[in-house]
Amino acid sequence: MALLELREESAGYNGETILHELNLTIVPGERIALVGESGAGKSTLLHLLYNRLGARAALMPQDSALVQALTVFHNVYMGRLHERSVWRNLRNLVLPSRADVDEVRDVLAPLRLQDKIFSNVGQLSGGQYQRTALARALYHPGRVIVADEPVSSVDEHQAREILTTMNGEKETVLLAMHDRALAIEFADRIVGIRDGRIVLDEASNGMRPGDLDDLYRTTDP
Amino acid sequence: MMSRRDPSPLMRTTTGFLFVGFICLAFADIAVTTGDPWKEFSLLLEGLVTPDFYKTDSLALSLAYTMAFALLGVALANVIGFGLALIFHSRIVRVGCAFVRAIHELFWALIFLQLFGLSPLTGVLAITIPYAGIIAKVYAEILEEADRRPLAAVPVGTGRASTFLFVRLPDAWAHFRTYSMYRLECGLRSSAVLGFIGLPTLGFHLETAFKEGLYSEVSALLILFYLVIATMRVWMKKPLLPFYLIGAVAILPWSIAFSWAHITRFFTEDIIPHPIRAGGENMMTALGDWVSMLLYEQIWPGTIATVQLTMIALVVTGFLTLVFFPLISPLMLGRAARTGGHVFLVVVRSTPEYILAFVLLNLWGPSMLPAIVALSLHNAAIIGHLVGRFTETIQLRLDAVKGMNRYFYEVVPRIYRPMLALLFYRWEIIMRETAILGILGIATLGFYVDSAFADLRFDRALFLILITALLNICVDAISRTVRAKLRLQTSLEER
Amino acid sequence: MTLKAIIVAVAVAAMTALSAGQASAAEKFVFTAIPDQDESALRKRFDKVAKYLSTTLKRDVAYVPVKSYAAAVTAFRNNQVQLAWFGGLSGVRARKLVKGSTAIAQGKADPFFETYFIANVSTGLTLSKDFPKAIAGKTFTFGSKGSTSGRLMPEFHIRKAFGKVPQQVFSRVGFSGNHSRTVALVQSGAYEVGATNFKVWKKGLANGTIDPKKVRVIWKTPGYPDYNWSIRGDVDKAFGAGFAKKVQSALLSMNDPDLLKSFPRASFIPAQNSDYAPIEATAREVGLID
Repeated sequence: MALLELREESAGYNGETILHELNLTIVPGERIALVGESGAGKSTLLHLLYNRLGARAALMPQDSALVQALTVFHNVYMGRLHERSVWRNLRNLVLPSRADVDEVRDVLAPLRLQDKIFSNVGQLSGGQYQRTALARALYHPGRVIVADEPVSSVDEHQAREILTTMNGEKETVLLAMHDRALAIEFADRIVGIRDGRIVLDEASNGMRPGDLDDLYRTTDP
Repeated sequence: MMSRRDPSPLMRTTTGFLFVGFICLAFADIAVTTGDPWKEFSLLLEGLVTPDFYKTDSLALSLAYTMAFALLGVALANVIGFGLALIFHSRIVRVGCAFVRAIHELFWALIFLQLFGLSPLTGVLAITIPYAGIIAKVYAEILEEADRRPLAAVPVGTGRASTFLFVRLPDAWAHFRTYSMYRLECGLRSSAVLGFIGLPTLGFHLETAFKEGLYSEVSALLILFYLVIATMRVWMKKPLLPFYLIGAVAILPWSIAFSWAHITRFFTEDIIPHPIRAGGENMMTALGDWVSMLLYEQIWPGTIATVQLTMIALVVTGFLTLVFFPLISPLMLGRAARTGGHVFLVVVRSTPEYILAFVLLNLWGPSMLPAIVALSLHNAAIIGHLVGRFTETIQLRLDAVKGMNRYFYEVVPRIYRPMLALLFYRWEIIMRETAILGILGIATLGFYVDSAFADLRFDRALFLILITALLNICVDAISRTVRAKLRLQTSLEER
Repeated sequence: MTLKAIIVAVAVAAMTALSAGQASAAEKFVFTAIPDQDESALRKRFDKVAKYLSTTLKRDVAYVPVKSYAAAVTAFRNNQVQLAWFGGLSGVRARKLVKGSTAIAQGKADPFFETYFIANVSTGLTLSKDFPKAIAGKTFTFGSKGSTSGRLMPEFHIRKAFGKVPQQVFSRVGFSGNHSRTVALVQSGAYEVGATNFKVWKKGLANGTIDPKKVRVIWKTPGYPDYNWSIRGDVDKAFGAGFAKKVQSALLSMNDPDLLKSFPRASFIPAQNSDYAPIEATAREVGLID
């Protein structure tokens, strides 16, 4: 049973078509990396997938998009805003409840963020910041994670940690990545995009970064 | 063949406003009419350096009242303004807010005096109503400009309320707090000025002392006022706020009875134009005469004077800003000199322009001159401060020229655009203040409003206030158009 | 968070305010006076009067200061004060607004009150028997906009003499705010000519605040009725039968020279509403009441 199926789909915004005649089927348990030049349409495709998945998926947007004025707890708690009543949300905004704090701390512990639970996210280092964004997605009950460049702003060590956790915690992983080596290492299926079309869709097994060079060949004069 | 470069839109606008300003100035009455202004001025200076804190009856109480009115007024305005900001997309709310803030708090106070007399309600509401209109607009803008990126990460299916609470509110909250502090400072100024029309705040004694030339008493009152404002960040602490509010309610003399009959009477009799109240078969003709009398004898001359004074004050404010901002700019002055500049600008901008105008009127006599100088000094100190702070962010290359060359070639071109943005932003504020200076005797619209109140003709007063509000709304609209055309923007902190 | 604190505080504040409002029923007899001259002196003067009335009437009496003539009238109208020391015009206005209110006393000099036109000596004008038409074209200041002796009567005589409104007669017209300010402004030369209350003028001469070398009287108006004590018609109901009469007799029997000197009046005599009919007619003619 497929999780999601695109048949001859096009997408874009402001009246401009960015993705053309896409065919893509995703089954639960897959770990898919979208690769391609910036501007090729990775983000657009990712958002198309996220919109189709709805509440089944957690999103890690490109710039992490944490709420600067809030603490780590609040940002992570946001992963379940939709499951809770407004009153419970309001209460947790003003005075976090013990039960919810414990829940969030359990998510933060494997990411080594439990000590930072009541720090403002503005004070975090780049890696901690990114891990907080991951924690929010992990706290989201959806079994799918849609992540747009989740490791572009952290060093390789941290990137591996984040990707490993992601793979371990979520059933299905949909990533947009520009780091080809990491994509091949952590995804089991590579979808290559160029000029808004899927030009490659293969298992990552045995693939080498050089195999993806075609996707990046400059065509502009 | 030589081709002359077309002036930029920025320069064309500047020239246009300068031209209008000078035309207005040419027709303005700016005579110094007092026999010996400098003698009075030296008396004032002498008084200022010999403050007498024991001269005023119940000085501490009037200081407490000043703070109480400001605290309650601003707190209430915050609650109402926040609520309105949430529904600011509604046209009715937007227009309503524009309308209530187009009417100066002194005019509101004059109206509420008729409804509630000298009850604290008059003072609190006079601050709350226009401030709620201002706060609603600013808070709506802040919410509008809050970081929207986190919206993407909110789980699908999250309700609007929760999304608002977690994504838009937290970012805006810090801005709200900063802005509330600024509003409280404005509220303290407004509260003090309300004393001029009879509420028991510092202005009550300040007006008497000024009128009678008791400058040592004036000095004491002003020093107290500056102290309260200067130390605001020390005493205004979040956990103390509830106590302040309860304290404010507790000390204000609420005992003055509240009567629905007075309120009903005001709306059903007092403000109905006299010819309608009188009735009779010639009512429509009489009403026509009444309106045209007001139009020709008061609205027309009052509007001309108001616009004239506004335009002159706007241009002079621009000039003074160019003089004031270097006083605190690290690009122009050393640290020690800048400290002096800061003190100067703080004092000038903390003094309400109404009080400044009042002082100068006493020194120079009733022409437009005191009003022009008061409005320009006050506003230039505010804009000069913001522009000066802005220059702190400018990095000049190491070999940049120094002195006047630096000022004209490196600095002014860089600050000119933000300065114009701020000037146009304050245009409407200057006009609102211009109208109110009429109460002091300068023949702007406020003069006729004050006369109508003095004659207990509330029908005329309200009609004139409505006209004043419309004029303000017009200027606000023009200013917005000009700013949009020139793509001038002010940051949130500068509103 | 602050929001919560604010909500709690506002709720508490509102409740305190409500309970305070209900507790205000304690009946205190309150009066005010038009701020016609040096306000700081007014306060001391009327606090003394309040004390006198307290003792004589054997109940709590308080004076509340106001900033303008209109505020005095409004306070009277809204029953925030029950008694007031009005000028001729403000008294007429107030009694028109409060049904049943009456003028009960006036100063001995008040039935024949006068306005003095005064001029800075630099104008070269001197005292004349006829209206000094030479003031045309000069700068001129009234007192308060709502004053009888500082506004109504001088404006009436100016209109009569020139057939024009003051703004067309003079090069500049101002409103000083009160009588002592008018004298000070003409004396300093801020205005060349002004109109002031003759009682304030005489008091100023006596206590030396007026310098006769700088400012002098150039014309005296014919007499007219002016200041009066007016009381609301419903005081008998609120403070007991015959209360208005008691207040009147307290005022009429005021004989402490110290109290009277501060007004300054030799004594108080009875007054009635009809005494001020000429003022009302004049005000209507000048267009100050509809």
